[in-house]
Amino acid sequence: MKTTSVSSSAMSNAMRYSQSRMQAELVKRQKEMDTLRVADLGLALGARTSQSVTFARDLERLNSIVDSNKLISSRLSTTQDALGKMGDAAQRLLTAVTTAASGDPGSNVTRDAGKAALQSMTSILNSSINGEYLFAGTNTDVKPINDYGAAGSPAKAAFDAAFVARFGFPATDPAAASITATQINDFITNDVAPQFLGAGWKANWSNATDQQIVSRISLNETTESSISANTDGVKKLAMAATIVNELFSGNLGAEAKKAVAQRVMTITGEAIGANAQTQSQAGIIEQRVSDASDRMKAQIGLFEKHVVDLEGVDQYEAASRVNDLMSHIQNSYALTARISQLSLINFLK
Amino acid sequence: MSLSSALNIAQSSLKATSRQTSIVSRNVSDGSNPDYSRRSAMLVYTDPGVSVVKIRREANDLLFRQNLSALSAWSGQGALAKGMDKLELQVNGVDNASSASTAIGNLQKALQLYATTPSNQNLGSSVVEAARQVVRSLNDGTKAIQDFRTQTDGEITTAVNDINDLLKQFEVANKAVVSGTRSGGDVSDALDNRDAILKKISEYVPISTYTRGDNDMVITTGDGTTLFETIPRSVTFTPSAGYAPGAVGGQIYIDNVPLKTTGVTDAPGKLAGMLQLRDNVTVTMQSQLDEIARGLVTAFSESATGQPTLAGLFTWSGGPAVPPAGTLVDGIAGTIKINPAVDPSAGGNPVLLRDGGINGAVYRTNPNAAGSGASYADRLIAYGEKLTQPMAFDPAAGITANSSLVSYAASSIGWFEGVRQQASTLADTKEALAQRTGEALSNATGVNVDTEMSLMLDLEHTYQASAKILTTVNQMLDTLLSAVR
Repeated sequence: MKTTSVSSSAMSNAMRYSQSRMQAELVKRQKEMDTLRVADLGLALGARTSQSVTFARDLERLNSIVDSNKLISSRLSTTQDALGKMGDAAQRLLTAVTTAASGDPGSNVTRDAGKAALQSMTSILNSSINGEYLFAGTNTDVKPINDYGAAGSPAKAAFDAAFVARFGFPATDPAAASITATQINDFITNDVAPQFLGAGWKANWSNATDQQIVSRISLNETTESSISANTDGVKKLAMAATIVNELFSGNLGAEAKKAVAQRVMTITGEAIGANAQTQSQAGIIEQRVSDASDRMKAQIGLFEKHVVDLEGVDQYEAASRVNDLMSHIQNSYALTARISQLSLINFLK
Repeated sequence: MSLSSALNIAQSSLKATSRQTSIVSRNVSDGSNPDYSRRSAMLVYTDPGVSVVKIRREANDLLFRQNLSALSAWSGQGALAKGMDKLELQVNGVDNASSASTAIGNLQKALQLYATTPSNQNLGSSVVEAARQVVRSLNDGTKAIQDFRTQTDGEITTAVNDINDLLKQFEVANKAVVSGTRSGGDVSDALDNRDAILKKISEYVPISTYTRGDNDMVITTGDGTTLFETIPRSVTFTPSAGYAPGAVGGQIYIDNVPLKTTGVTDAPGKLAGMLQLRDNVTVTMQSQLDEIARGLVTAFSESATGQPTLAGLFTWSGGPAVPPAGTLVDGIAGTIKINPAVDPSAGGNPVLLRDGGINGAVYRTNPNAAGSGASYADRLIAYGEKLTQPMAFDPAAGITANSSLVSYAASSIGWFEGVRQQASTLADTKEALAQRTGEALSNATGVNVDTEMSLMLDLEHTYQASAKILTTVNQMLDTLLSAVR
């Protein structure tokens, strides 16, 4: 009769089975201890794996936007710096014309101040960062401002042509001395202003587009991130500097020159105001970009925490599980050895 | 009673003991054979003092049936879980590294970089390269899935051949049992053999059996189709030479009845498991890849007023037309490719991606004249946004119909891992059950060597005693004869 029975093969199979299970488990736990992530994400999370995938992808995206924001910030701070220098140039021009309006209007110093303002303005506006012209709008591979001093400059040709068309002789002609203050003021208002504030600006002066560079600065926020050379500040400064440069080098009479100086004072003042306005615009964008970066950095921190919550493994728990398993396996080995010796055959001598 | 009858009894005892010893030795020698059932000797007394040994085979029908069904569940589930592990590695890669979702994430990053510095043509080329990774992931995924289906189809063919062979072997074994039983001989070995074949058959399909007169056995599948009755019934399957997305595979017929499969994650036998892999899991995965590919072609398409919307960065075999919205297009993930017009390695110009105009100048959206407007980023930003805007997906592919392309790609991984997790958990429990029932069956019918050894000691004693009786009777007879002499 058989009451309880254990078959020899069941005994050794059970031991072999549990040993192989424990060894497989040990490999997984070992991996978890090394990486501090669950060994098989899919098996651990199941359908929630999509969350972990989404988090990982969003993290990458946020990091890449934070990086690209650094580029935008550097562009904006360079812009800010350039705008500051342009304000300085305008200020120097204002000082020169103010002197001219009150003192000796015929001096070449005023003309040189106009020329210098024009040159520094051109070089500032044509500055580039990273191979892109800063003030070109979206047309960043073309110099935004044509050099007025260059041979065959269309802007200079247009100005000269307008003078001749109005008075019948060039400004260098001795007859120019007879031009009255009213006449020259009228010339500036009706002939010179359209060349800068009207269609002439884009035809002769600027290659920049009105449209500015648009950039994504956070997951769902885009902003214009550059300043175009087609702002009122630039146009008016160019106008003031050109008028000084041209009319003070001609043969205009003292009265006319004084009128010009007074007129240019007004225009330069407006240019400085407009320039300050542009500077504050750039500052606002800079602020937005850095705010967006800060927000995203906070988000990155949160996301990283979520990812750890989802797929992380407590290192102490992992270590203690590995230790447990190792001692279990050791016990199992010891037992197996003992049990295999435990046979009646050994006693049947 | 006489001395001669004592001699006879001792003789028959010796005979019985040696017969029993041979059984013990057989038990010990087959102790580690899992298909062997322990034999025991029963002494039947015919004439007074004369014993005949009858052999009894330990059997436990209930445990054996439990073990059969557990084996079949485990082998089916194991095949399913292993297949899914293989698919995961082949389609999504280690840690999803080669998945479409990861590749699209990289494309988003490349787009963001390019949008920040649109004048840098190298960044444009890197967007095209990132797009090429997406295409490669989709194309390779499609190929892996279809190869997997073809392989599984081949494995089904092998399995069907195996099961037909096993049924033929079963016929022979069953005949041996029936004829042995009729002639009243010892059929233990034939029964062991038949049970071993049954275990093998149950790995392929869940079976139930019943025994008729003369130990004749009938096998039916779990859902009642006859697999064996006197003669084996044929299991037939027509393999396909290769699989394309959307192609439907052949059925397995048992006795001309098609084998049924249920669900995605639970397989009741190897044949069903392989059919489910070939027809359910892989087909859904493929349609999800197809939907991702269709989403990409649509998201990067170009439109202009008065012009048809045409494929942009990504195009496909049906290009330049854009596939119809919200409808699954079979196999588009296998034919999606980079538009040669923007591919620098095919002589294309990646700048078209920034300015528009892949399908001709009418589609240009950069407001500046051609060759200028190098920092125009609106279009690139719009592409990035389209990837995260909700779009309509075909519900036939098994995931939420309305989501953004990137979250659809992530959900696709989630869907698969969900299925894999269930299959794997079920495989673990079913393995444990098969192991446990196997152990219980082995405990009930298997051999314990120690028991056999102690039996042998008993037999040794009996044998010694009988031999002693023989010599004693011999001495007594000798004494008697010498007195007579």
